[in-house]
Parts: sequence; C-alpha cells; structure tokens
Amino acid sequence: MKSTILYILVMLAILLTGCADHEKKLTFWIGGAPQEVDYWETLVGEFERTFGITVDLIRQPSSTDQRKQGLVISLEAEQPDPDVFLMDIVWLQQFFQSGWLQPLDPFFEATGFSIAPFFKDVVDAVDRFEEHYYALPVFLDIGVLYYRKDLLKQYGFSGPPRTWRELVRQAHDVQAGERNHNPGFNGFLWQGAQYEGLVCTFLEFTASNGGGIIQDGHVRLNRSVNDVALEFMRALIRKYDISPLNTYTDMREEEVRRAFQRGDALFERNWLYAWNLHQKDGSAVEGKIGMTALPQFEEGQSVAALGGWHIGMSRYSDMPAKAWELVRFILSHASQKKLVLNLGWYPGRSDIYTDPEVLKKMPYAGLLQKTFSRAVTRPNLPYYDQVSDVIQRTVNGCLAGKQPPAAALGRMQSEIDHIEDIYAR
Amino acid sequence: MREERVKKILKATGVVFLLLFCLLPFVWVVLVSLAKEPDFLLPQVAFDVTFDNYSDVLISGSLHLLDYLRNSLVVSAVAALAATLFASLAAYAITRLTFPGRLLIPLLLLAFSMFPQISIVGYLFKMMIGLGWINTYAGLIFPYITLAMPLALWIMLSYFSEISTELDRAALVDGATRIQILHKIILPLAAPGALSATLLVFIYSFNEFLFAMMLTTDYRARTIPVGIAFFEGLHGQIPWGHLMAVAVISVVPVILLAAVFQRKIIRGLLQGAIKG
Amino acid sequence: MKVFKDRYLPNEIRDAYLFLLPMLLFAVVFILLPVLGTLVTSLFREVTFLPSRFSGLDNYLRLMTDRHFWQSVRFTLLFVGVSVATELVIGMVLALILNESIPGRGFVRVAVLVPWAIPIAVSARMWEMIFNFDYGVVNFVALRLGLADGPINWLGSATGAFGAIVISDVWKTTPFMTIILLAGLAAIPQDLYKQAMVDGTTFIQRFFYVTLPLLRPVLVVALLFRTIDAVRIFDLIYVLTGGGPGGGTTSLSLYAFKYYISGDFGYGSAISLVVFLVAGLLAVFYVRFTGLREAVK
Repeated sequence: MKSTILYILVMLAILLTGCADHEKKLTFWIGGAPQEVDYWETLVGEFERTFGITVDLIRQPSSTDQRKQGLVISLEAEQPDPDVFLMDIVWLQQFFQSGWLQPLDPFFEATGFSIAPFFKDVVDAVDRFEEHYYALPVFLDIGVLYYRKDLLKQYGFSGPPRTWRELVRQAHDVQAGERNHNPGFNGFLWQGAQYEGLVCTFLEFTASNGGGIIQDGHVRLNRSVNDVALEFMRALIRKYDISPLNTYTDMREEEVRRAFQRGDALFERNWLYAWNLHQKDGSAVEGKIGMTALPQFEEGQSVAALGGWHIGMSRYSDMPAKAWELVRFILSHASQKKLVLNLGWYPGRSDIYTDPEVLKKMPYAGLLQKTFSRAVTRPNLPYYDQVSDVIQRTVNGCLAGKQPPAAALGRMQSEIDHIEDIYAR
Repeated sequence: MREERVKKILKATGVVFLLLFCLLPFVWVVLVSLAKEPDFLLPQVAFDVTFDNYSDVLISGSLHLLDYLRNSLVVSAVAALAATLFASLAAYAITRLTFPGRLLIPLLLLAFSMFPQISIVGYLFKMMIGLGWINTYAGLIFPYITLAMPLALWIMLSYFSEISTELDRAALVDGATRIQILHKIILPLAAPGALSATLLVFIYSFNEFLFAMMLTTDYRARTIPVGIAFFEGLHGQIPWGHLMAVAVISVVPVILLAAVFQRKIIRGLLQGAIKG
Repeated sequence: MKVFKDRYLPNEIRDAYLFLLPMLLFAVVFILLPVLGTLVTSLFREVTFLPSRFSGLDNYLRLMTDRHFWQSVRFTLLFVGVSVATELVIGMVLALILNESIPGRGFVRVAVLVPWAIPIAVSARMWEMIFNFDYGVVNFVALRLGLADGPINWLGSATGAFGAIVISDVWKTTPFMTIILLAGLAAIPQDLYKQAMVDGTTFIQRFFYVTLPLLRPVLVVALLFRTIDAVRIFDLIYVLTGGGPGGGTTSLSLYAFKYYISGDFGYGSAISLVVFLVAGLLAVFYVRFTGLREAVK
C-alpha cells in the first residue's frame, strides 16, 4: 500500500511541475527568413531596454501554413501566450471573426497613437471588422514586374511594357535572341504552381482586364473579362511560349527569383522582396534591372495584388497594456524606418515614403506609395482558405490543360457559391 | 547437401538485406549530420567532417531543442510508469479474480486502442482547454497513459497468466491482502514483463505526434517529434546538416533503450501481438 | 439473478472493479468521451467564426458531394492496400529466409528495431532528405545507375509522392511484421515439414499447405493491426508531403485535421467519424471473414 501511495505521489509531483504556473511573459511570435528573425531580435532588444519590459521572442517555422496552424491552436485554446503576433493578410478575417483579437482602437487615444499615417485604403479594407481595428500592417507587399534594362536596350526597346501585348512582343524577341547562347532562357517568369501565390497571380491577370475575384462584395468569377485573362495566362505557356512548361508545376516565388537572378529571364513577376536580393553582390543581374508596375490589358488598368503581414494582439493576453506598448513601438515611425532600411520592407505608414534616407536606399519608394492605394486584395472572407483552395486547384488545372478557361471559371464559381452557402450566418 | 548450401547463402543474403534495409537510411542521416555540405556525394564536393551541426543546434536557445528533449523524456517516463502500474492492477484482477466482464474488458480496451487518433483529438482538445491543461505535461501524460494502456495490459496479462495461482492462495491463507500479493509476489515474478511494458509505453509516448502537436503550443511542453517536424532553417532551403543532427539527437534515447533492452522489447511486442 | 449470484462473489466483483478502476476511468474519460464528443460535434455547425447551431446530418451530406473528400478516401484506401500488401510480402519473404538461428542475433535484433523505434516524424524528415530533388540519395543513385534521365521530382509529383510515402511506411513497419511472422513460423512444429518432405512435396507446396494455414492466426492479427494503423495514417504524411502536391496525398485523417485548423470543427469531426467507421468496418471484416473469432477462442 505504501509503495502505491509513493508511486502516485511521485507522479503527481512530476505532473505538477509540468503545469507550474506560467510566469507572465510578454510573448511575441514571429517567423520568416533568418535575416528577418535576426533583425526582430535586435529591434525587440531595443524595446526591452527602452521600456524595461522583457519579451519572450518565439520563432515559428517559416512556412506560412505552419505559422497559422500554431496560432489557430493557441488562440482557439484561449492561451495567454502569444500576446502579440504577426498575421498574413489573408488570415485576418478568419482571426477577426473568430473573436481572437483585441480591438486596437481603444488604445489609440489613451496612448496618443494616430492611425492617420497609415494607408487608409489598405487599413480600412483589411484591418477592420465591425467598426473596430483589430490589426495594423507591419509591412505591405505587392506584385511588381522586374525587367532587365540591359536586354531591353540591347534589343532596341525603349522601355518596359505597359500592356500585356507589348510584354509578349518584347519577351518573344528577346527570348528568341537569347536562346541562341542560353537555351534555358525564358521571356517571362511568374508563379503558377498550385499554392496560395497562384491566387495572387490569377487576381492580377484578371483584375488587369477589369475583372477580378470579387464584384459587389461577392465572389464573381465567371465573367468574360476573366475568361480572356485566364486564357491569356494559359497562352503564355502554350501559345506564346514565353513562359516555361514547369510554370504550373514548380514555379513559386523562390524558383522564379532564382531563375531571374541567374540571368535566365527577361521579365519576372514577383513580390518586393526580390529587389534587394537581385541587387546583392554576386548576383548575376546586379545593376541591370528595373522595377515597374505590372502591365495591363488595353481596356483594363495596371493592378497589383496586395500581400504583407499585420500585427495584432491576442484577446486572451494576460498583459494587454504591455502588449500594446510593443505593438505601438513596432508601428512607430522610428521602428518602421529601421525595418525598411534593414530588411527592405515596405511599411504600412505612408510617412516613411517621403523620408530622404529611405528614398536613397529604395529608389522606387515613391512609385510604390501610389500603387499601394490601388492594390487589389484577395477576398476578405473568414473561410478564405477554402476559397483559395478551389481557385488554386482549378486555375492550376486549367494552366495544365485539364479544362478550358470558361469551364474552369464556371466550376470555381459553383464550388465557391456552395462554400458561401455553408458558411452563411 | 546442395540444398543446405543454397539455404545458407539465401539466409546470409537475407540477413545482409535486412541489415541494409533497416540501417542504411539511418546511416545516411548520421553521415549528413556530420558533414559540412549535404551534397558531398557529388565528386566536386568534399566530405568535411564537422561537429558544428550538433553544437549549433544544441547551443541555439531559440531552437529549444533541449527543452523538447526534456519534455519528451519526462512525459514519456511518467506515462510509462503510470500505464504499467494501472495495467498491472487490471491484469491482476483479470487473471486472478472472477467477475462479469472479465473477458470483455481486455477486448474492449484493445478496441479502444484501435480508435483513430483523429477522432479523439478534436474533442480532447476542447476538453483540455476546459481543464486548463493545454501546453502542460498533464495534458500529454494522461492521454498517453490511456492510449498505451492496452499494450501494457496485454503484456502484463500474458506474464501474469503464467504465474500459478497457488502462490496467491497460499498468501491469502496467510492473511495477505490482494494488493500485497500483487506488490510483493506477482510483480517481482513478472518483473521482465513490467519492464517490457514500461519500455514499450515509453517509446510509444516518445514518438507520438498528433496529440503533441494539437495539445501543446510552445517549448514549455512541446515534444521532440513536433519540434523536428517544425524544424526549418532558411526560407525555402532546409539546412540538412542541422536537421539531421537534430534527428540523431532525437532518436538517441530510444535507440539506446532499444539496444540495451532489445530482447525485452521484442518479447513484449510479440506477446502483444500473438496473444492478442 | 440466481445464476449471477452463484457464479460471482460480491467481494471479488468489488475488488476486481477497484483494481480496474484507474484503467477504466482513463479509458472512459480520455478515449470514449472524446469520441462521443466528436460524434456530437459532427452534428453541429461548429465553426470558430460563426455562432454554433445544430445541423443534424448536414456535415455528412456535405461529405457526399465533396470531391476532395472522395479523393482522400481513394488515396487512403489505395495507400492501405499497397502498403500493407508490400509489407506482408517482404516481411514474409524475410521471415522465411531467416527462419532459423541467425548469426549475431543481438545486433540483428537491434538493427531490426531501429525503424520501429524512431519517431515517425523523425523518419519522415529523413526520407524527405533522401527523396530530395537536389540533395537526395535516391536521385543521386538513380542518375548514376542510369535508371533515370534526370532528377526525379519525388515529392513534387503525385505518383512520386505516393511512392515516397509507401516506401517510407514500408521501411518503418516491415521489420516489425518480419518479427511477428518469424515468431509465428517458429511455433510451427518442424515435424510437419519433415513429414511433408518425406511425402515428396516442393517448397512451394509446403508453404501453401503447411505454413500458411498454421500461420493464419498470427497473420490475421498482424494484418488487422497494420491495416487499421494504415487507415488512420497522419504523422508520416503531414511531415513528409503535407498532403501535397495539390492535395494528392491527403489521407482522411489529414483532411479532417485541415478542417480543424480552418476553424470548421463540425466538418472535421464528421470526417474523423468516417475514419472511425472505416477502421471499424475493416476490423469487423477481418473478424468475420478470416476466422479471427475462432483464433481468439
């Protein structure tokens, strides 16, 4: 009997050490590439020294899906940690509508924080839910067109293309010439693999023809303007031959960036992060590239898909006041400027874009400031990941030749309508 | 005679194939973990031996590797001891007492152990939230005990059933209580079985993934399998050397146990399967 | 009641259940209760961003027309079939070959335990590296031996990923299967073989008429366990392929999990119940049609 009691006591003791009270810590979950994480440590270190608040900086895996999974589990479990965390722009509605975030506006007045410097269009479009702001952008991202200045000049073109037709012509000519000594050269590289990025690409092509995913607040995919755009995407690979066959099997951000950086392409559609990498020492395209807005169809307009990461506070945080201090610090002009200069990020605050130091380091900042306001967003739905899944699979299948564009659009529309019914209030 | 020779050659080949099949992938892991460049198979890349991968991952505080290891060891050890204890109690009752449900209960528990974890974990997650056991040792230990108990039970059952009930009768006549009999007579005789059971439950708990992933949120309770699943270094490019070093470190405990206790483990597994 | 009283002593019943209490308590609270909870949840619209409401069989009806669900079902069943069959064949061959004293027994035993002892998550990352497009050993060897023209995109193509998963799973479980079959073989009296040899039978005939029938109970149990394990597969797929490419290797368990993370607990629970049913049906099938019942008795 005694030993049994001993057994049980020992076990209880061990159990209890495990669930010993978690001392309250300000936990900040981040992720991303190593240089990002390293810089966060520097920035947060500065916060700790200035405010005297200790921050437990936790690195999540760099995969976006796994970051989301970790957050969803913690938030659904109403855990006091993390207090502050970063969110991909497409998660925002799911997080807001699940009630996981602390509204931020109550803190604005009390701490003298103004939302004015932030891009109003963006913030109002994605960071709001039912009259409150639940998140704010840490950095924004848009799709842009990178091009080889030297090649365009060499082949007698005066500048980057304004329309898709011009792009096709330029890519065709340059590719034909370059392939003589570089058989792996391609005219135009873009993300076509079956993953989230494809939705952005699809959005850009369709919106640049006056179409897009959302119309009047609902998903409206089967419009003729979308049909033309999707057909064009397919044609880039199969008819015009300026995009390689593995566009829809392999091409994601890094694959596209690496190929362009090796000098194997004339045009690249990618996010803003690629600029710094292309311009690094040792890059084969250093000093030879330019960045411009994406082309459009004749009747449409130039658009860019909006990406980026936002910062928010957990509703279950055990130290909301301190958490807000950290959020405010990160969103401050000083910190945002540091992030820009060190990581090449494009902040959500428009007042950074007029800073001379910034303009010196990032010559395109002025151009981009205008573009952010015109960026198009993916559908702001709490069940976005399921909608995205439908679009990814179907568009990719269409690119692979499994379905013609009209049928693909029709199918996507009916599947998304079905999903909308399921999640109607 | 010919047949004898052929048989011998076949057997030797079989053994060699078996050894290669089992060990080669892991040998590869160890090699990569010790190499500076993971593509050292290419002729132009040299195979530089280095222990840096190991020191990097062990020292890096933000990786929390040692935390994961500690969590795994504690959770598995407690679950193993508790499961064996409960299984012993139950096995005693089943082999020595007569009562309704004597045959049904072990079978029922066996059935329970075959339930898909996914159909348990969803609601268990909600239960753990209610209990406040998310990201705690208790939150893992209790489910692990439950999932591994049937395994321990069947092992203890087969050992206990081999011990003569005469011993019980004699002790009862002397005025011993049943608990005393279990504790002082039966368990010592079935010690190898208890060891087997403890080991198997330990290894099962150590390797468990789904529950650990859903019921823990950070390094305070997270275990090694989840830690290694989430291990990523560079954006889009995994540092294979580091990852393989983590892999080797992760399996050192279980491989050591397997090496030292291989007879017991195999016997336990066989009993679990054959008698079952 | 009279019969009941005669057969059991009330004291013993009380003692027995006291001994059984911890185990039963745990089993009820941590297995039975959650499964029932999952069942109940599946009858609700339980979504994190919507108010909960009872929805009856709506989630199940939704499954009927869900293309991706059926794709998962097909994948899971295909995986189970191919994997278990492969393990069985390789395991049997190895067991037959080894069915005698093995030199260096201890070392061989440890070697055989290595695949089983390693956590699936760890072995999945190991295979991730081995099948890696750029750095993987398999591609290296295949290219060297001229088996392939270019590096094979294992994890990036549907068939490649399926192959990678099967190979990884077979690696992990075949040694275990071999041990079990070995023990089963060892239980067959050698006299039977001697008799059969005297009667002038070939090895094949001996295998089918002596070995297999006597091995049947062990075989059936091993297959039952392995099949049910394969149906509920999650760890390997989550870590190795994440269900990709394009959802092509998403097992049922993983499909349910994805819905949990999307916030739709109701639908995820419904899928989980389906996994449960499939496992249950397979178990019943094994018991009924393979004479397991007699074996147990």
